[in-house]
Amino acid sequence: MYTQRRDVNMRYLSLWLKITTQTTQVAFASRLGVALFTLGKVIRFVFFILFLFLLTSKTRTLGGYTIWEVLLFFLTFNVIDIIAQFLWREVYRFRTYIVSGSFDMVLTKPISPLLRVLFGGSDALDLITLVPLVIFMAYVATQIGDISIINVIVYILLIANGLIIALSFHIFVLALGVITTEVDNAIWIFREITQLGRFPLNIYPKAVGLIFTFVIPVAAMITIPTNSLMGILSPAGVIICICLSGIFLSLSLLSWKEALKRYASASS
Amino acid sequence: MKKYIQIAKNTWDEALIYRTSFIFYRVRELLKLFSLYFLWYFVTSRNGDFFGYDQSGIITYLLISTFVGDFIFSTRTTAIASEINEGILTNFLVRPLSYLKYYFARDIGDKALNVSFALVEYAAFFAILRPPFIFQENFILILIFITSVLLGVILYFFISVLISLIGFWSNEGWGPRFIFYQVIGFISGSLFPLDVLPKPLFALLELLPFPYLIFFQSKIYQGQLSGIEIGRGFLILILWIFIMYFITLSVWKKGLRVYTAQGR
Repeated sequence: MYTQRRDVNMRYLSLWLKITTQTTQVAFASRLGVALFTLGKVIRFVFFILFLFLLTSKTRTLGGYTIWEVLLFFLTFNVIDIIAQFLWREVYRFRTYIVSGSFDMVLTKPISPLLRVLFGGSDALDLITLVPLVIFMAYVATQIGDISIINVIVYILLIANGLIIALSFHIFVLALGVITTEVDNAIWIFREITQLGRFPLNIYPKAVGLIFTFVIPVAAMITIPTNSLMGILSPAGVIICICLSGIFLSLSLLSWKEALKRYASASS
Repeated sequence: MKKYIQIAKNTWDEALIYRTSFIFYRVRELLKLFSLYFLWYFVTSRNGDFFGYDQSGIITYLLISTFVGDFIFSTRTTAIASEINEGILTNFLVRPLSYLKYYFARDIGDKALNVSFALVEYAAFFAILRPPFIFQENFILILIFITSVLLGVILYFFISVLISLIGFWSNEGWGPRFIFYQVIGFISGSLFPLDVLPKPLFALLELLPFPYLIFFQSKIYQGQLSGIEIGRGFLILILWIFIMYFITLSVWKKGLRVYTAQGR
Protein backbone atom coordinates (compact mmCIF):
# COMPACT_ATOMS: atom_id res chain seq x y z
CA MET A 1 0.00 0.00 0.00
CA TYR A 2 2.77 2.41 1.04
CA THR A 3 4.87 1.55 -2.04
CA GLN A 4 1.86 2.08 -4.31
CA ARG A 5 1.21 5.51 -2.75
CA ARG A 6 4.85 6.47 -3.16
CA ASP A 7 4.75 5.48 -6.85
CA VAL A 8 1.69 7.66 -7.41
CA ASN A 9 3.39 10.61 -5.68
CA MET A 10 6.52 10.12 -7.79
CA ARG A 11 4.42 10.04 -10.96
CA TYR A 12 2.72 13.30 -9.97
CA LEU A 13 6.08 14.89 -9.18
CA SER A 14 7.49 13.80 -12.51
CA LEU A 15 4.40 15.11 -14.33
CA TRP A 16 4.63 18.44 -12.48
CA LEU A 17 8.30 18.81 -13.38
CA LYS A 18 7.52 18.13 -17.03
CA ILE A 19 4.63 20.63 -17.20
CA THR A 20 6.61 23.24 -15.25
CA THR A 21 9.57 22.90 -17.62
CA GLN A 22 7.28 23.34 -20.62
CA THR A 23 5.43 26.32 -19.13
CA THR A 24 8.74 27.97 -18.28
CA GLN A 25 10.08 27.36 -21.79
CA VAL A 26 6.99 29.00 -23.25
CA ALA A 27 7.43 32.00 -20.94
CA PHE A 28 11.12 32.35 -21.78
CA ALA A 29 10.43 32.14 -25.52
CA SER A 30 9.67 35.83 -25.17
CA ARG A 31 12.83 37.18 -23.56
CA LEU A 32 11.71 40.80 -23.83
CA GLY A 33 8.51 39.91 -21.97
CA VAL A 34 10.52 38.22 -19.20
CA ALA A 35 12.81 41.25 -18.90
CA LEU A 36 9.92 43.74 -18.76
CA PHE A 37 7.95 41.63 -16.32
CA THR A 38 10.94 41.29 -13.99
CA LEU A 39 11.77 44.99 -14.27
CA GLY A 40 8.18 45.87 -13.34
CA LYS A 41 8.35 43.67 -10.27
CA VAL A 42 11.67 45.20 -9.19
CA ILE A 43 10.27 48.73 -9.63
CA ARG A 44 7.21 47.86 -7.52
CA PHE A 45 9.43 46.35 -4.83
CA VAL A 46 11.86 49.29 -4.70
CA PHE A 47 9.08 51.90 -4.70
CA PHE A 48 7.28 50.21 -1.82
CA ILE A 49 10.46 50.04 0.23
CA LEU A 50 10.97 53.76 -0.40
CA PHE A 51 7.41 54.30 0.77
CA LEU A 52 8.10 52.38 3.99
CA PHE A 53 11.23 54.46 4.63
CA LEU A 54 9.21 57.62 4.02
CA LEU A 55 6.48 56.42 6.37
CA THR A 56 8.91 55.80 9.21
CA SER A 57 11.27 58.69 8.45
CA LYS A 58 9.98 60.89 11.27
CA THR A 59 9.20 58.41 14.03
CA ARG A 60 11.65 55.63 13.13
CA THR A 61 8.98 53.09 14.14
CA LEU A 62 5.60 51.84 12.93
CA GLY A 63 3.34 50.15 15.46
CA GLY A 64 6.31 49.68 17.77
CA TYR A 65 8.47 48.06 15.08
CA THR A 66 11.66 49.60 13.67
CA ILE A 67 12.02 50.18 9.93
CA TRP A 68 14.06 46.96 9.58
CA GLU A 69 11.39 44.97 11.38
CA VAL A 70 8.66 46.59 9.26
CA LEU A 71 10.69 45.62 6.17
CA LEU A 72 10.69 42.03 7.40
CA PHE A 73 6.86 41.97 7.32
CA PHE A 74 6.94 43.27 3.76
CA LEU A 75 9.58 40.73 2.72
CA THR A 76 7.67 37.84 4.31
CA PHE A 77 4.57 38.93 2.40
CA ASN A 78 6.66 38.85 -0.78
CA VAL A 79 8.01 35.36 -0.07
CA ILE A 80 4.47 33.98 0.37
CA ASP A 81 3.21 35.91 -2.66
CA ILE A 82 6.02 34.82 -4.99
CA ILE A 83 5.92 31.13 -4.03
CA ALA A 84 2.10 31.03 -4.22
CA GLN A 85 2.17 32.61 -7.68
CA PHE A 86 4.85 30.21 -8.85
CA LEU A 87 3.12 27.07 -7.60
CA TRP A 88 -0.51 27.89 -8.35
CA ARG A 89 -0.27 30.07 -11.44
CA GLU A 90 -2.73 27.77 -13.25
CA VAL A 91 -5.54 29.01 -10.99
CA TYR A 92 -5.32 32.36 -12.83
CA ARG A 93 -6.26 30.51 -16.04
CA PHE A 94 -9.02 28.40 -14.52
CA ARG A 95 -11.87 30.60 -15.72
CA THR A 96 -10.96 29.76 -19.34
CA TYR A 97 -11.24 26.06 -18.50
CA ILE A 98 -14.76 26.56 -17.18
CA VAL A 99 -16.19 28.95 -19.78
CA SER A 100 -14.68 27.06 -22.73
CA GLY A 101 -15.76 23.68 -21.40
CA SER A 102 -12.21 22.32 -21.49
CA PHE A 103 -12.52 21.46 -17.80
CA ASP A 104 -14.40 18.36 -19.03
CA MET A 105 -11.15 17.19 -20.60
CA VAL A 106 -9.35 17.63 -17.28
CA LEU A 107 -12.02 15.57 -15.52
CA THR A 108 -11.62 12.68 -17.93
CA LYS A 109 -7.84 12.43 -17.50
CA PRO A 110 -6.45 9.78 -15.11
CA ILE A 111 -5.06 12.39 -12.72
CA SER A 112 -6.57 14.38 -9.87
CA PRO A 113 -8.43 17.35 -11.45
CA LEU A 114 -7.66 19.46 -8.40
CA LEU A 115 -3.92 18.87 -8.67
CA ARG A 116 -4.08 19.51 -12.42
CA VAL A 117 -5.79 22.90 -12.10
CA LEU A 118 -3.64 23.90 -9.14
CA PHE A 119 -0.18 22.84 -10.27
CA GLY A 120 -0.65 22.53 -14.03
CA GLY A 121 0.99 25.81 -14.97
CA SER A 122 3.82 26.54 -12.52
CA ASP A 123 6.02 29.15 -14.13
CA ALA A 124 9.63 29.51 -12.98
CA LEU A 125 9.54 33.10 -14.25
CA ASP A 126 7.76 33.92 -11.00
CA LEU A 127 10.78 32.70 -9.05
CA ILE A 128 13.33 35.07 -10.62
CA THR A 129 12.93 37.68 -7.91
CA LEU A 130 12.94 35.18 -5.03
CA VAL A 131 16.73 34.77 -4.80
CA PRO A 132 17.59 38.50 -4.48
CA LEU A 133 14.65 38.81 -2.10
CA VAL A 134 16.04 36.13 0.24
CA ILE A 135 19.50 37.76 0.10
CA PHE A 136 17.97 41.13 0.98
CA MET A 137 16.01 39.45 3.76
CA ALA A 138 19.22 38.04 5.21
CA TYR A 139 20.70 41.57 5.14
CA VAL A 140 17.62 43.00 6.90
CA ALA A 141 17.84 40.22 9.49
CA THR A 142 21.45 41.19 10.26
CA GLN A 143 20.29 44.77 10.87
CA ILE A 144 17.78 43.53 13.44
CA GLY A 145 20.32 41.30 15.19
CA ASP A 146 19.77 38.54 17.77
CA ILE A 147 18.16 36.11 15.35
CA SER A 148 18.95 32.55 16.32
CA ILE A 149 19.00 29.42 14.14
CA ILE A 150 15.92 28.15 16.03
CA ASN A 151 14.08 31.36 15.08
CA VAL A 152 15.00 30.80 11.43
CA ILE A 153 13.83 27.17 11.52
CA VAL A 154 10.50 28.08 13.17
CA TYR A 155 10.12 30.88 10.62
CA ILE A 156 10.62 28.51 7.68
CA LEU A 157 8.15 26.01 9.16
CA LEU A 158 5.57 28.76 9.69
CA ILE A 159 6.09 30.02 6.13
CA ALA A 160 5.35 26.47 4.93
CA ASN A 161 2.28 26.54 7.14
CA GLY A 162 1.32 29.92 5.68
CA LEU A 163 1.59 28.44 2.20
CA ILE A 164 -0.95 25.78 3.21
CA ILE A 165 -3.37 28.62 4.07
CA ALA A 166 -2.56 30.28 0.72
CA LEU A 167 -3.19 26.93 -0.98
CA SER A 168 -6.57 26.71 0.77
CA PHE A 169 -7.51 30.16 -0.53
CA HIS A 170 -6.61 29.04 -4.06
CA ILE A 171 -8.81 25.94 -3.69
CA PHE A 172 -11.69 28.14 -2.43
CA VAL A 173 -11.26 30.30 -5.54
CA LEU A 174 -11.32 27.22 -7.79
CA ALA A 175 -14.50 25.99 -6.10
CA LEU A 176 -16.06 29.42 -6.57
CA GLY A 177 -14.96 29.34 -10.20
CA VAL A 178 -16.74 26.04 -10.82
CA ILE A 179 -19.98 27.41 -9.38
CA THR A 180 -19.95 31.02 -10.64
CA THR A 181 -17.20 31.12 -13.36
CA GLU A 182 -15.72 34.02 -11.36
CA VAL A 183 -12.01 33.46 -10.77
CA ASP A 184 -9.95 36.47 -11.85
CA ASN A 185 -11.14 39.04 -9.34
CA ALA A 186 -11.57 36.41 -6.60
CA ILE A 187 -7.89 35.49 -6.77
CA TRP A 188 -7.02 39.17 -6.75
CA ILE A 189 -9.12 39.63 -3.62
CA PHE A 190 -6.96 36.95 -1.99
CA ARG A 191 -3.88 38.91 -3.00
CA GLU A 192 -5.31 42.18 -1.73
CA ILE A 193 -6.08 40.48 1.58
CA THR A 194 -2.55 39.13 1.93
CA GLN A 195 -1.26 42.62 1.13
CA LEU A 196 -2.83 43.78 4.38
CA GLY A 197 -0.09 41.75 6.07
CA ARG A 198 2.63 43.93 4.53
CA PHE A 199 2.34 46.08 7.65
CA PRO A 200 2.42 45.01 11.31
CA LEU A 201 -1.07 43.88 12.26
CA ASN A 202 -1.30 46.22 15.24
CA ILE A 203 -1.78 49.24 12.98
CA TYR A 204 -5.33 47.96 12.41
CA PRO A 205 -8.14 48.36 14.95
CA LYS A 206 -8.50 45.41 17.35
CA ALA A 207 -11.67 44.07 15.71
CA VAL A 208 -9.97 44.09 12.30
CA GLY A 209 -6.90 42.44 13.84
CA LEU A 210 -9.08 39.62 15.21
CA ILE A 211 -10.69 39.12 11.79
CA PHE A 212 -7.22 38.91 10.22
CA THR A 213 -6.18 36.37 12.82
CA PHE A 214 -9.13 33.99 12.90
CA VAL A 215 -11.47 34.63 9.96
CA ILE A 216 -9.05 35.57 7.18
CA PRO A 217 -5.78 34.33 8.69
CA VAL A 218 -3.38 36.92 7.28
CA ALA A 219 -1.68 36.89 10.68
CA ALA A 220 -0.97 33.16 10.44
CA MET A 221 0.45 33.63 6.95
CA ILE A 222 2.63 36.69 7.48
CA THR A 223 2.53 38.38 10.90
CA ILE A 224 3.15 35.38 13.17
CA PRO A 225 5.98 33.90 11.02
CA THR A 226 7.67 37.33 10.95
CA ASN A 227 7.31 37.68 14.71
CA SER A 228 8.83 34.22 15.10
CA LEU A 229 11.93 35.32 13.18
CA MET A 230 12.28 38.29 15.52
CA GLY A 231 11.94 35.94 18.50
CA ILE A 232 8.66 37.40 19.73
CA LEU A 233 6.34 34.44 19.50
CA SER A 234 4.53 32.31 22.05
CA PRO A 235 4.02 28.53 21.59
CA ALA A 236 0.29 29.35 21.55
CA GLY A 237 0.88 31.40 18.39
CA VAL A 238 2.46 28.40 16.65
CA ILE A 239 -0.43 26.13 17.70
CA ILE A 240 -3.01 28.67 16.46
CA CYS A 241 -1.22 28.87 13.09
CA ILE A 242 -1.14 25.10 12.62
CA CYS A 243 -4.80 24.69 13.68
CA LEU A 244 -5.91 27.45 11.32
CA SER A 245 -4.10 25.97 8.34
CA GLY A 246 -5.61 22.54 9.10
CA ILE A 247 -9.13 24.00 9.38
CA PHE A 248 -8.75 26.09 6.22
CA LEU A 249 -7.34 23.23 4.16
CA SER A 250 -10.15 20.86 5.26
CA LEU A 251 -12.83 23.46 4.51
CA SER A 252 -11.36 24.28 1.12
CA LEU A 253 -11.22 20.59 0.13
CA LEU A 254 -14.84 20.18 1.21
CA SER A 255 -15.83 23.22 -0.84
CA TRP A 256 -14.02 21.79 -3.88
CA LYS A 257 -15.89 18.48 -3.56
CA GLU A 258 -19.20 20.32 -3.23
CA ALA A 259 -18.39 22.49 -6.25
CA LEU A 260 -17.56 19.45 -8.38
CA LYS A 261 -20.95 17.94 -7.53
CA ARG A 262 -22.59 21.11 -8.90
CA TYR A 263 -20.46 21.29 -12.04
CA ALA A 264 -22.91 21.23 -14.94
CA SER A 265 -20.45 21.16 -17.86
CA ALA A 266 -22.65 23.87 -19.35
CA SER A 267 -20.07 25.35 -21.73
CA SER A 268 -18.90 22.17 -23.40
CA MET B 1 -22.52 61.46 -31.52
CA LYS B 2 -25.56 59.24 -30.89
CA LYS B 3 -23.63 56.09 -31.70
CA TYR B 4 -20.91 56.96 -29.17
CA ILE B 5 -23.51 57.56 -26.46
CA GLN B 6 -24.93 54.14 -27.32
CA ILE B 7 -21.43 52.62 -27.07
CA ALA B 8 -21.04 54.14 -23.59
CA LYS B 9 -24.42 52.70 -22.58
CA ASN B 10 -23.48 49.30 -23.98
CA THR B 11 -20.27 49.29 -21.96
CA TRP B 12 -22.29 49.95 -18.81
CA ASP B 13 -24.70 47.09 -19.66
CA GLU B 14 -21.88 44.76 -20.61
CA ALA B 15 -20.16 45.21 -17.24
CA LEU B 16 -23.42 44.50 -15.43
CA ILE B 17 -23.87 41.19 -17.26
CA TYR B 18 -20.84 39.91 -15.34
CA ARG B 19 -22.15 41.22 -12.04
CA THR B 20 -20.20 38.88 -9.76
CA SER B 21 -16.98 39.78 -11.51
CA PHE B 22 -17.67 43.50 -11.24
CA ILE B 23 -18.70 43.30 -7.58
CA PHE B 24 -15.53 41.34 -6.77
CA TYR B 25 -13.52 44.00 -8.58
CA ARG B 26 -15.14 46.68 -6.42
CA VAL B 27 -14.42 44.63 -3.27
CA ARG B 28 -10.76 44.64 -4.29
CA GLU B 29 -10.79 48.40 -4.62
CA LEU B 30 -12.47 48.73 -1.25
CA LEU B 31 -9.88 46.49 0.41
CA LYS B 32 -7.11 48.74 -0.94
CA LEU B 33 -8.88 51.77 0.49
CA PHE B 34 -9.36 50.14 3.91
CA SER B 35 -5.72 49.12 4.06
CA LEU B 36 -4.41 52.62 3.31
CA TYR B 37 -7.02 54.26 5.52
CA PHE B 38 -6.02 52.26 8.59
CA LEU B 39 -2.34 52.81 7.85
CA TRP B 40 -2.62 56.59 7.60
CA TYR B 41 -5.08 56.78 10.49
CA PHE B 42 -2.62 54.89 12.67
CA VAL B 43 0.42 56.93 11.58
CA THR B 44 -1.27 60.27 12.24
CA SER B 45 -2.89 59.09 15.49
CA ARG B 46 0.54 58.35 16.92
CA ASN B 47 2.57 61.15 15.38
CA GLY B 48 0.03 63.95 15.21
CA ASP B 49 1.03 64.89 11.70
CA PHE B 50 2.90 63.65 8.65
CA PHE B 51 5.13 66.21 6.95
CA GLY B 52 2.65 68.98 7.74
CA TYR B 53 -0.50 66.94 7.06
CA ASP B 54 -2.66 66.47 10.15
CA GLN B 55 -4.97 63.48 10.47
CA SER B 56 -7.96 65.03 8.72
CA GLY B 57 -5.66 66.46 6.02
CA ILE B 58 -4.07 63.13 5.14
CA ILE B 59 -7.35 61.18 5.38
CA THR B 60 -9.08 63.72 3.14
CA TYR B 61 -6.19 63.46 0.69
CA LEU B 62 -6.40 59.66 0.74
CA LEU B 63 -10.17 59.49 0.21
CA ILE B 64 -10.23 62.13 -2.52
CA SER B 65 -7.19 60.70 -4.33
CA THR B 66 -8.66 57.18 -4.24
CA PHE B 67 -11.96 58.48 -5.61
CA VAL B 68 -10.24 60.49 -8.33
CA GLY B 69 -8.03 57.46 -9.14
CA ASP B 70 -11.14 55.29 -9.47
CA PHE B 71 -12.52 57.73 -12.00
CA ILE B 72 -9.39 58.54 -13.98
CA PHE B 73 -7.68 55.13 -14.03
CA SER B 74 -10.71 53.01 -14.98
CA THR B 75 -10.25 52.33 -18.68
CA ARG B 76 -11.05 49.82 -21.40
CA THR B 77 -8.13 50.89 -23.59
CA THR B 78 -6.00 48.05 -22.20
CA ALA B 79 -7.77 45.78 -24.72
CA ILE B 80 -6.44 47.73 -27.71
CA ALA B 81 -3.06 45.96 -27.76
CA SER B 82 -4.61 42.49 -27.98
CA GLU B 83 -7.14 43.69 -30.58
CA ILE B 84 -4.21 44.79 -32.73
CA ASN B 85 -2.25 41.58 -32.08
CA GLU B 86 -5.21 39.34 -32.88
CA GLY B 87 -6.33 41.31 -35.94
CA ILE B 88 -9.67 42.24 -34.33
CA LEU B 89 -8.86 45.88 -35.13
CA THR B 90 -9.78 45.13 -38.76
CA ASN B 91 -13.45 44.82 -37.75
CA PHE B 92 -13.37 48.41 -36.54
CA LEU B 93 -11.43 49.84 -39.44
CA VAL B 94 -14.18 48.88 -41.90
CA ARG B 95 -16.94 50.41 -39.76
CA PRO B 96 -18.10 54.02 -39.98
CA LEU B 97 -16.68 55.04 -36.61
CA SER B 98 -13.48 56.39 -35.13
CA TYR B 99 -11.63 53.66 -33.21
CA LEU B 100 -10.21 56.12 -30.69
CA LYS B 101 -13.59 57.81 -30.13
CA TYR B 102 -15.12 54.35 -29.76
CA TYR B 103 -12.71 53.62 -26.93
CA PHE B 104 -13.23 57.01 -25.35
CA ALA B 105 -16.98 56.29 -25.30
CA ARG B 106 -16.30 52.89 -23.73
CA ASP B 107 -14.15 54.59 -21.11
CA ILE B 108 -16.98 56.99 -20.28
CA GLY B 109 -19.39 54.07 -19.75
CA ASP B 110 -16.83 52.25 -17.64
CA LYS B 111 -16.05 55.31 -15.52
CA ALA B 112 -19.72 56.09 -14.98
CA LEU B 113 -20.32 52.59 -13.63
CA ASN B 114 -17.22 52.62 -11.42
CA VAL B 115 -18.04 56.00 -9.96
CA SER B 116 -21.66 54.99 -9.30
CA PHE B 117 -20.47 52.00 -7.30
CA ALA B 118 -17.71 54.01 -5.63
CA LEU B 119 -20.28 56.56 -4.40
CA VAL B 120 -22.29 53.80 -2.71
CA GLU B 121 -19.13 52.30 -1.21
CA TYR B 122 -17.99 55.68 0.06
CA ALA B 123 -21.39 56.29 1.64
CA ALA B 124 -21.06 52.96 3.49
CA PHE B 125 -17.43 53.74 4.36
CA PHE B 126 -18.40 57.10 5.87
CA ALA B 127 -21.36 55.58 7.74
CA ILE B 128 -19.26 52.80 9.29
CA LEU B 129 -15.92 54.50 10.02
CA ARG B 130 -16.89 58.17 10.23
CA PRO B 131 -13.47 59.28 8.94
CA PRO B 132 -12.12 62.75 9.79
CA PHE B 133 -12.87 64.13 6.34
CA ILE B 134 -12.83 67.80 5.36
CA PHE B 135 -15.75 68.70 3.07
CA GLN B 136 -14.86 71.46 0.65
CA GLU B 137 -17.45 74.24 0.84
CA ASN B 138 -15.95 76.63 -1.72
CA PHE B 139 -18.10 76.16 -4.84
CA ILE B 140 -15.50 77.71 -7.15
CA LEU B 141 -12.83 75.31 -5.91
CA ILE B 142 -15.20 72.38 -6.48
CA LEU B 143 -15.77 73.54 -10.06
CA ILE B 144 -12.02 73.87 -10.64
CA PHE B 145 -11.55 70.43 -9.08
CA ILE B 146 -14.14 68.86 -11.41
CA THR B 147 -12.52 70.54 -14.42
CA SER B 148 -9.10 69.22 -13.42
CA VAL B 149 -10.52 65.70 -13.03
CA LEU B 150 -12.07 65.82 -16.50
CA LEU B 151 -8.79 67.01 -17.99
CA GLY B 152 -7.02 64.21 -16.09
CA VAL B 153 -9.39 61.73 -17.74
CA ILE B 154 -8.39 63.00 -21.20
CA LEU B 155 -4.67 62.92 -20.34
CA TYR B 156 -4.85 59.37 -18.97
CA PHE B 157 -6.85 58.22 -22.00
CA PHE B 158 -4.10 59.30 -24.39
CA ILE B 159 -1.32 57.85 -22.21
CA SER B 160 -3.13 54.52 -21.91
CA VAL B 161 -3.93 54.35 -25.65
CA LEU B 162 -0.32 55.18 -26.45
CA ILE B 163 0.92 52.25 -24.37
CA SER B 164 -1.55 49.91 -26.06
CA LEU B 165 -0.42 51.04 -29.51
CA ILE B 166 2.86 49.20 -28.84
CA GLY B 167 0.75 46.28 -30.07
CA PHE B 168 1.40 47.42 -33.66
CA TRP B 169 5.08 46.55 -33.30
CA SER B 170 5.18 43.93 -30.58
CA ASN B 171 3.17 41.17 -28.93
CA GLU B 172 4.60 42.27 -25.58
CA GLY B 173 2.13 45.09 -24.97
CA TRP B 174 1.44 43.91 -21.41
CA GLY B 175 5.09 44.29 -20.37
CA PRO B 176 5.33 48.09 -20.77
CA ARG B 177 1.84 48.43 -19.30
CA PHE B 178 2.85 46.41 -16.22
CA ILE B 179 5.84 48.71 -15.70
CA PHE B 180 3.64 51.76 -16.30
CA TYR B 181 1.21 50.62 -13.58
CA GLN B 182 4.03 50.21 -11.09
CA VAL B 183 5.45 53.65 -11.85
CA ILE B 184 2.12 55.44 -11.90
CA GLY B 185 1.06 53.74 -8.65
CA PHE B 186 3.88 55.60 -6.95
CA ILE B 187 4.39 58.92 -8.73
CA SER B 188 0.77 59.87 -9.36
CA GLY B 189 0.26 60.37 -5.62
CA SER B 190 -2.12 57.50 -4.95
CA LEU B 191 -0.09 56.18 -2.00
CA PHE B 192 0.87 59.48 -0.39
CA PRO B 193 0.87 63.21 -1.20
CA LEU B 194 3.84 63.88 -3.46
CA ASP B 195 4.79 67.15 -1.77
CA VAL B 196 6.24 65.22 1.19
CA LEU B 197 9.09 64.14 -1.11
CA PRO B 198 12.37 66.08 -1.11
CA LYS B 199 11.84 69.42 -2.88
CA PRO B 200 14.16 68.86 -5.90
CA LEU B 201 12.50 65.51 -6.60
CA PHE B 202 9.02 66.99 -6.24
CA ALA B 203 9.95 69.92 -8.53
CA LEU B 204 11.11 67.43 -11.16
CA LEU B 205 7.93 65.33 -10.81
CA GLU B 206 5.80 68.44 -11.29
CA LEU B 207 7.08 68.71 -14.85
CA LEU B 208 5.91 65.18 -15.71
CA PRO B 209 2.29 64.31 -16.57
CA PHE B 210 1.77 61.83 -13.71
CA PRO B 211 1.09 64.20 -10.76
CA TYR B 212 -1.74 65.69 -12.86
CA LEU B 213 -3.70 62.46 -12.70
CA ILE B 214 -4.36 62.36 -8.92
CA PHE B 215 -2.13 64.62 -6.84
CA PHE B 216 -2.96 67.93 -8.49
CA GLN B 217 -6.72 67.30 -8.37
CA SER B 218 -6.63 66.24 -4.71
CA LYS B 219 -4.66 69.33 -3.71
CA ILE B 220 -7.15 71.58 -5.52
CA TYR B 221 -10.02 69.93 -3.63
CA GLN B 222 -8.23 70.50 -0.34
CA GLY B 223 -7.74 74.16 -1.18
CA GLN B 224 -4.01 73.88 -0.60
CA LEU B 225 -2.89 75.49 -3.85
CA SER B 226 -2.61 79.20 -4.52
CA GLY B 227 -4.16 80.78 -7.62
CA ILE B 228 -0.75 80.88 -9.31
CA GLU B 229 -0.07 77.22 -8.50
CA ILE B 230 -3.48 76.20 -9.87
CA GLY B 231 -2.89 78.22 -13.06
CA ARG B 232 0.59 76.76 -13.52
CA GLY B 233 -0.76 73.24 -12.90
CA PHE B 234 -3.52 73.66 -15.49
CA LEU B 235 -1.00 75.00 -17.99
CA ILE B 236 1.25 71.94 -17.59
CA LEU B 237 -1.77 69.60 -17.62
CA ILE B 238 -3.17 71.06 -20.85
CA LEU B 239 0.28 71.10 -22.42
CA TRP B 240 0.69 67.39 -21.65
CA ILE B 241 -2.75 66.66 -23.11
CA PHE B 242 -1.71 68.31 -26.37
CA ILE B 243 1.67 66.54 -26.41
CA MET B 244 0.05 63.15 -25.75
CA TYR B 245 -2.71 63.83 -28.29
CA PHE B 246 -0.24 64.56 -31.08
CA ILE B 247 2.06 61.68 -30.16
CA THR B 248 -0.91 59.26 -29.97
CA LEU B 249 -2.27 60.37 -33.36
CA SER B 250 1.16 60.17 -34.96
CA VAL B 251 1.84 56.68 -33.51
CA TRP B 252 -1.67 55.52 -34.51
CA LYS B 253 -1.10 56.60 -38.14
CA LYS B 254 2.36 55.00 -38.24
CA GLY B 255 0.94 51.86 -36.64
CA LEU B 256 -1.80 51.54 -39.24
CA ARG B 257 0.85 51.60 -41.95
CA VAL B 258 2.57 48.53 -40.49
CA TYR B 259 -0.67 46.77 -39.43
CA THR B 260 -1.08 43.46 -41.24
CA ALA B 261 -4.31 42.16 -39.67
CA GLN B 262 -2.31 39.20 -38.43
CA GLY B 263 -4.54 36.62 -36.78
CA ARG B 264 -7.55 37.23 -39.02
